[in-house]
Amino acid sequence: MSLLPFVASGIGLGAIYALSSVGLVILYRASGTLNFAFGAFGAVSAFLAWQLTGSGVPLPISCIVGIAASAAIAYGYGRVFAPRLSHRDRVVRAVATLGIALVLLGGMALYWGVGVPRRLVLPTDLNFVPLFGVRLSVTRLIALGVALAMAGGAGLALSLTRIGLGMRALASDRHISAAIGVRVVQIDSFAWLVNGIFAGIAGILLANLNRLDPGYLTFLVIPAIAAAILGRLSSLPGAFIGGMVAGMIEAMLIASSPEIANLRSAGPYIAALIFLMIFGAGQGVGARE
Amino acid sequence: MIDLRNIDIGKIELRKAALIRLIDMAEAIRCFGTAAAARLLSAAGTEITPAIRAVAIVAVIGVVSAVIALTCGGFWLSNFTQAYCMSLAILGCALLYGQLGLVSLCQWALVGAGGWVSLRVYHSIHPPFFVTMLAGGVGASLIGMFWGLPALRMRGLYLALVTLMLAGAFQTLVIVTSFPVGGPGFLGQVGASGNDRISMARPIFAASDTGYFLFVAAVTLLCIFLVEAHRRSKPGRAWALIRKSEQMAIAAGVRIVFYKAWAFALSGFLAGIAGALLAGLFGQLDASAFPTTNSIVIFIGTLLGGYEVWLGAFLGGVLTRFIPALLIDLNVNTNVGFIIFGAALLFALRDPLGLGGQLSILAERFYKQLVGHLRESLKAKAAP
Repeated sequence: MSLLPFVASGIGLGAIYALSSVGLVILYRASGTLNFAFGAFGAVSAFLAWQLTGSGVPLPISCIVGIAASAAIAYGYGRVFAPRLSHRDRVVRAVATLGIALVLLGGMALYWGVGVPRRLVLPTDLNFVPLFGVRLSVTRLIALGVALAMAGGAGLALSLTRIGLGMRALASDRHISAAIGVRVVQIDSFAWLVNGIFAGIAGILLANLNRLDPGYLTFLVIPAIAAAILGRLSSLPGAFIGGMVAGMIEAMLIASSPEIANLRSAGPYIAALIFLMIFGAGQGVGARE
Repeated sequence: MIDLRNIDIGKIELRKAALIRLIDMAEAIRCFGTAAAARLLSAAGTEITPAIRAVAIVAVIGVVSAVIALTCGGFWLSNFTQAYCMSLAILGCALLYGQLGLVSLCQWALVGAGGWVSLRVYHSIHPPFFVTMLAGGVGASLIGMFWGLPALRMRGLYLALVTLMLAGAFQTLVIVTSFPVGGPGFLGQVGASGNDRISMARPIFAASDTGYFLFVAAVTLLCIFLVEAHRRSKPGRAWALIRKSEQMAIAAGVRIVFYKAWAFALSGFLAGIAGALLAGLFGQLDASAFPTTNSIVIFIGTLLGGYEVWLGAFLGGVLTRFIPALLIDLNVNTNVGFIIFGAALLFALRDPLGLGGQLSILAERFYKQLVGHLRESLKAKAAP
């Protein structure tokens, strides 16, 4: 049996994980917060876009509205709740985002319902590119491109711009940054705003590539974290590669025996665990905390 | 409005006489009790001693459980039994977070592991319930320690993520294998029809729903005492030192790996007992009841209740089960529960004491005032 078709479907799945894990790592690099609500922000954006297109609004406008909503929620969280927790350790800040994730999840499940088979249809679904005998939809290639562009763009912005420098300082030590005149709250909430925009874009793509379900989209963040761990939570190219590897592992497990294929969704977690056991937490941001 | 002209003076006189008799009786009891009370109070002091705390634990859990056992049945009794099991899981989670500052996001997966082991043991040799329960506890404790060992190198966020990965992996694993139901082979599965599933028996003396609830309450009480005993003895001191500074602990000769592994084992043990108790409640367990999200909910319950005191774990468990049950009972969409938990988490994080911590500070203050007041009044009495 040839493995190549599975490689191709792994690229498709990897695009999903890469998109989310890059989004996670960007905020972690910029403000030191691991955002468990990334999936929930994205889900809000996807649901709004779906609702608006359903009622006749042109797709680009609905998508923009969705992304804007996700960005607004993220900015609000970054402005209202994040500063109050800034003195607490990284775990507490990460767990706090679970709070907003649960609130959004509950709200979406209440309004739109759970377990309804739904998908956000995009015009790019109809075009396919053949790869190793598997037809990859253009949307998947767009997701891959967006993940790459996000990783590259954010990486460059973090290392080259003034505000990127502020973000890195903030993530490294909030108090010292504030003492030397970095405008901590502004930069922090800007990082959240950017994260909300990325989450919104990722949410719309993910709702198209897989399914539009509040629970699924919200907790897609867990395998995405596994992928981000493969990139040590700090490296943007690492997060991208981690996402692709996690997708490949799942696809390869489908190719193996049927008993193992059932366990495939544990693949990213086990890969992340093995990675951490062998290489440890490394010297990335927050590894020593 | 009471019309003053209609009041029967005779009745009032009668009541007055009865009241005076009552006051006389109380006075007599007080005179008799004063000497004893004075001795007791001078011995008690205003500090909260372990003995006083033990009395408080027994009193609170005893009264709450008695009220539940007397007033609830069916749906609510089952939910409160589950709530006590959640309290046990939270107790383990709070132990790791409160004593060592370690965030474990896999506690509900450990409950599942404990339930799996106890069901496996039950269907293999049909031992008495205590043996099944302890097997679940020891099994989950070994798994917890095994999971904990690689995590010993991790701290803070990474440990939380490692445990989250473990919970995710467990969810997939348990959906594939599912829980033993008395069939042949190691996995103990029966055919697809599911007609020949065997339920796990409850203890003979606690076969009824109320009896089983009281049994679970008694086990919860024992487990709280187990943790309290740890906190007050050598392991508790070692944990406190490790939390303060690992370098300091090494310098003081504390075996860090040993005591950390011990904490993981104890927290796994509590989760395993909870799993066995759940298996006993329902007779069998369903894989869909052990999603990764439940482990997250357990940690949220830990924060809501407060992780520093035993009352926090107890309240956290009751709350995490009570709110969804109340929503089901009131016919409200259960998704409202997510909103309540999320909002509660955001506020709980700003107050590290949690509900249990606040309440026990209040109770402590009240107790001290009461003792002080009684002392004053006794002194005043003794003076003339």
